[in-house]
Amino acid sequence: MEFLELLSPSYFLLAAAGSIIGIIFGAIPGMTATMAVAVCLPLTYTLGLHEGLALLLGLYVGGISGGLVPAILLNIPGTPSSITTTFDGYPMAQRGEAERALKICIVASLFGGFFSAIILFFFAPILADFAIKFSYVEKFLMIFFAMSVIASLSKNILMGVFSGLIGVLLSLIGTYDVSNGGNGEYRLMATWMEPYLAYGFSLLPVLIGLFGISTIIEEAEKGVKENSLENKVNLTKGTPFRFNVFKGQTGNLLRSSSIGTFIGMLPGIGGSAASILSYTQQKNLSKNPEKMGKGAPEGLVASESANNALTGGALIPLLSLGIPGDSTTAVLIGAFTLQGLQVGPLFIGENIDTWYSMVTGLMFANVVMFIAMFYAIRYIAKVVLIPKFILYPIIVMMCAVGAYAINYGIMFDVWTLFLFGVAGWIFGKIGIEVAPLVIGFILGSSAEVYFVKSLESYGEYSILVTKSPIALVLWGLIILSIVLSVIIHRKSKQQATEEAAQ
Amino acid sequence: MKNIMHTAKVMLLAGSVVAAPAITFAADNPIRGNIRIVIGSKSTGGDTYQASSIIAEALAAKIDANIKVDAVGFSAGYQALERVPSGNTLMIFHDQAYLGHLYKQKGYEDPFKQWQIGPSFATNPGNGYLVPKNSPYKNMDEILNAAGNGQTIRVAIQPGGVSEIGYTAMKNAVRLAYPGQEDNLVALNTGSQSDKNQAMFDGLADVINGSVQANEQYTRLPADDQKAMNFVWLTAKSSTLQNANPEGMGQTSRDELLQYASGLGVRVPMDAENDFTFDKEFFFLYNKRMSPEVVAFLDNALAEVFADGKVQETLKKSFFIPNFRTSAEAQKHFKAKRDSYAKIIESLQK
Repeated sequence: MEFLELLSPSYFLLAAAGSIIGIIFGAIPGMTATMAVAVCLPLTYTLGLHEGLALLLGLYVGGISGGLVPAILLNIPGTPSSITTTFDGYPMAQRGEAERALKICIVASLFGGFFSAIILFFFAPILADFAIKFSYVEKFLMIFFAMSVIASLSKNILMGVFSGLIGVLLSLIGTYDVSNGGNGEYRLMATWMEPYLAYGFSLLPVLIGLFGISTIIEEAEKGVKENSLENKVNLTKGTPFRFNVFKGQTGNLLRSSSIGTFIGMLPGIGGSAASILSYTQQKNLSKNPEKMGKGAPEGLVASESANNALTGGALIPLLSLGIPGDSTTAVLIGAFTLQGLQVGPLFIGENIDTWYSMVTGLMFANVVMFIAMFYAIRYIAKVVLIPKFILYPIIVMMCAVGAYAINYGIMFDVWTLFLFGVAGWIFGKIGIEVAPLVIGFILGSSAEVYFVKSLESYGEYSILVTKSPIALVLWGLIILSIVLSVIIHRKSKQQATEEAAQ
Repeated sequence: MKNIMHTAKVMLLAGSVVAAPAITFAADNPIRGNIRIVIGSKSTGGDTYQASSIIAEALAAKIDANIKVDAVGFSAGYQALERVPSGNTLMIFHDQAYLGHLYKQKGYEDPFKQWQIGPSFATNPGNGYLVPKNSPYKNMDEILNAAGNGQTIRVAIQPGGVSEIGYTAMKNAVRLAYPGQEDNLVALNTGSQSDKNQAMFDGLADVINGSVQANEQYTRLPADDQKAMNFVWLTAKSSTLQNANPEGMGQTSRDELLQYASGLGVRVPMDAENDFTFDKEFFFLYNKRMSPEVVAFLDNALAEVFADGKVQETLKKSFFIPNFRTSAEAQKHFKAKRDSYAKIIESLQK
């Protein structure tokens, strides 16, 4: 147990500091876990590998978790993987249950984080061997499966699918990047746009624009009166938090955490797919699907347990194959690089002490995240009490700073933020649905790459079905997901008609 | 407690690399404020970030400045470099800077016209090609002969750069021995290293581009493991590889790696007399408008860093080969190198 010697007080202090700093990064719209890890990466030089990793793992866990705060309180996903948290979190905050929603999310996050850390510890090499069975075809189908949720999340299926397609189209603007195996050509833009859109619209400014800025424009349109009672949220009005809210959620927690871990371990799928898939599977299997999206705790449980389960999942291919599972672990790998340490299929066996210390750091960071957020939350929740005429300008400023910083100082990202803010406001008026559009935007470019690569590699459309048993299972899930969505839509339509008749 | 205090001090330095003051250089430093080094790769897990971080730390210590390395990729890197002529933004890249232009990749201008070439400081001798352990081809001879005899050989590369130059050389070698058969070597366009590995696991590629740093562990897996691979060629000159750390990388020594280098274990002919070799070298790029005073200052500072001798040890530990040239020397060297590879690429396109 030589690794115990590595666990000095400063090791734990750094993991805790990382977790808290990460929460702050995650909670500021436009700042992400990836950015937090990138900023602190050079510190691993001075700190050494183990203590450096403790700090970075803390930042990773904190950064992913912090995204739930603005998602619930402001309807702005702090990180892309907390989009689905806004669906139920914000309505709960609006009816005075902000503290309850935040606490549900924090407990679910802790569960997801622990679940994936345990899976990582016991099954990493086996799962990595399974992950490499996912070729271009299976990865495309996995993304297609995640996209099938658009049907379930739409208020009107046709409009939802149309909105999703607009999102896909928007995601294809820019270069078909050679680093993705593309031809490096620009698509869907005029020549004069090339300096701005060579790499397309950045995800976070689009996301924050559509969710956050558009809401603020809507409020501005209505006019915010200084002493208006209707705008005041009463924090004590709603149902208070009790642990019994998790009664009946065991299946949801386990399923969502498994989906999160699984998506995390598939490189190239992207973290947001985890929470989107978990949320929709819960909606499809829920006894009360009509309540989801209107402030149902089960939606929060699904979304947050899945996105925190990503952390352990994304470390599986990193430590078992040397391949990062998501954008944050892609930066985290730099900590090993800076120390001249190889990560690959023999990493765990040859660096057993580092491996144990990383799993310890990951678990500890989750505990700190839980304690820090659970007990600070009553104060954080008071953000909703700040009058909107003070709060909104601050949010706009923070969003603009975050958008500018996300790609290390690109002004066009700030224009993207405002452009999509206005677009989101217009979409609301003409019936285009923002959630399906965003899902299309997030998943569109990966779907294209894997679809094109599948055809380039195998040369026939039938390969999408015949490639492997995994492909067949995925097709089964896609069909099931669409059928269930249609049934749920019909049921809720029928219910609405009956209610209207009464 | 001491440890905690140390950690607290280090935390205060967040986001920057700070080292002990070097009074003379600090006083003469014409660059006011912090220095940002953008690199041509978006990956913090790759060799560009690693080499850049090592040299940035050494340079920061020498000139007593805060230097931060940002993995922004070549396009954003070029934009950042274009904006700042003061020396506060510098760029580090490798041979891809001119190879991208030779291969007519989007976004790659002629670096000799667009930028000032700064000092070179390291070579990575690890660029190479691998086959699955259970491949019917055990070495480069078998691969080139198979292609020459009509077998299709699929090579996973990322087009337009260091990854493609070796593929170009393979095609050239097939053409020399078996004229007209070179099209049996087919490029499989993939992206990152993980995509190339996956192409091999899926049976889509017969040969993949890789590196000692990224793939050495895979070569030590048992043959019955789906992920197991073997090196067949390292593109670096054997004389370059001989300067690498004798311990090599991971559990594979330098001498074991030398058997994959040209002239010792492998032949990939470039013409009747010479073998094709390629050393991947890292160098600075400066804004064209950056003043000669700043260029000279950085040349001198880096010369002193190398004269101290410590940075060489750090570079060697990570399997890099220290390789310092001043700006003027680097400009001359890389121009000549570009011209020589331009001929090979051009001859293949005829």
